[in-house]
Amino acid sequence: MKNEKLMGKDLINIGIFSAIYFIIIFAIAMLGYIPIFMPLICVIGPLIGGIPFMLFLTKVKKFGMILIMSLIMGILMLLTGMGYYSIIVGAISGFIAEMIYKSGKYQSAGKAVLTHGVFSIWMWGNFIPLFTNSEKYFSTRQDFGQEYIDALTSLLPPWMFPTLLAACFVCGIIGGLIGKSVMKKHFIKAGIV
Amino acid sequence: MRANVLQATVEKRGLVFDPRTKLLLLIAMTTFVLGGAGQKSGFGGIVFSAISVILCFLPFLLLLAAKRRKAALRYAILYLAMYVIFIFVTPQTRGILNFFILGTSGIITRFMPSILLGFYVVSSTTVSEFTAAMQKMHISEKIIIPLSVMFRFFPTVGDEFRCINQAMRMRGIVFGGKNMSKMLEYRLVPLLSCSVKIGEELSAAALTRGLGGTVKRTNVCEIGFHMQDWVVFLLCATAYFMLILSKFGVL
Repeated sequence: MKNEKLMGKDLINIGIFSAIYFIIIFAIAMLGYIPIFMPLICVIGPLIGGIPFMLFLTKVKKFGMILIMSLIMGILMLLTGMGYYSIIVGAISGFIAEMIYKSGKYQSAGKAVLTHGVFSIWMWGNFIPLFTNSEKYFSTRQDFGQEYIDALTSLLPPWMFPTLLAACFVCGIIGGLIGKSVMKKHFIKAGIV
Repeated sequence: MRANVLQATVEKRGLVFDPRTKLLLLIAMTTFVLGGAGQKSGFGGIVFSAISVILCFLPFLLLLAAKRRKAALRYAILYLAMYVIFIFVTPQTRGILNFFILGTSGIITRFMPSILLGFYVVSSTTVSEFTAAMQKMHISEKIIIPLSVMFRFFPTVGDEFRCINQAMRMRGIVFGGKNMSKMLEYRLVPLLSCSVKIGEELSAAALTRGLGGTVKRTNVCEIGFHMQDWVVFLLCATAYFMLILSKFGVL
């Protein structure tokens, strides 16, 4: 380990992959205004997000890169009006993900898949206000109509709270596997990785 | 190549705001318009609806001030139309039609202002202004650099995606085309590989500007609070003050 500090190049890589990752997640989150897709964000998001994230992991060689990306996602969620919960959740899950990937010396492919599973948990942070403070959450969404609120309430009973967490993790792992196979199919051959 | 609408240029920008003011305004917008914070009834209800009306009107003014008349006008017309539908048409309808109309107009009236403000912030702030503002707020370099790269990178991703989309449409990989199953893969993979390339170029460009160095970087970009910043700042402060008052049950 000759250079442990994060250099400009690493930070730029974080920026680029965060941008791509955020655009993908944002596009998926837009679907959430159709009630049935709201809980499915936790499924589709990690599945597709795995592709850019696994490519990102091949660029990660130093401590802190996953944590920073996780924090940036939280900050962007705050700016787009999803509340501050994802910063807290993102900080914790990002740190754990970082530790997992570090334990594989930043190159173990199996650990990379697990890392994406843990990393994906930040998305769950966006759902916290829906469960802990659902009355207030829905009072701010009156404009969408009572039908929308009813549909959403019936889709998200309390037991969905831990289920969504599990969904994020499991789909994160599946997404990681998808990302790995896409990488093998395209990027390694092209010499990008 | 067509000129990029999202990239800020220093020439002919009209009224300039400090990036910190824009950030504050963006947060206020997401709390009050997008998040719908505040009371809904009584005197407090009137105060908060006044605040959100003012906030919704602001992107229009800001875009005008930044000399983007077309975008401002388009926003005003669409917003007003949706608002009229929301107020007058929805009470008349029932059932599934109501669900549909209420959903569309409610979502658009709620999201449009924030999206437009976001568009304004990104399109009117240069990367060095943004970096200077973040440095003044004493945020770690480790957050500033990725964030500023992101802001610089969003328009690029948009451009690349448009080009890839055109190429794929030519090959019939679109919705309703014969190769629909490949849609996602055939868009993401080229996007990722060209992003990696661009990333390498960006790093090289940044190195020549001394980003990897050990000394503290300086910034020639002048930012500071002016008259217009104080007006916006006062507005946001009032809104948050009202929110705190209503939390304690004063309003």
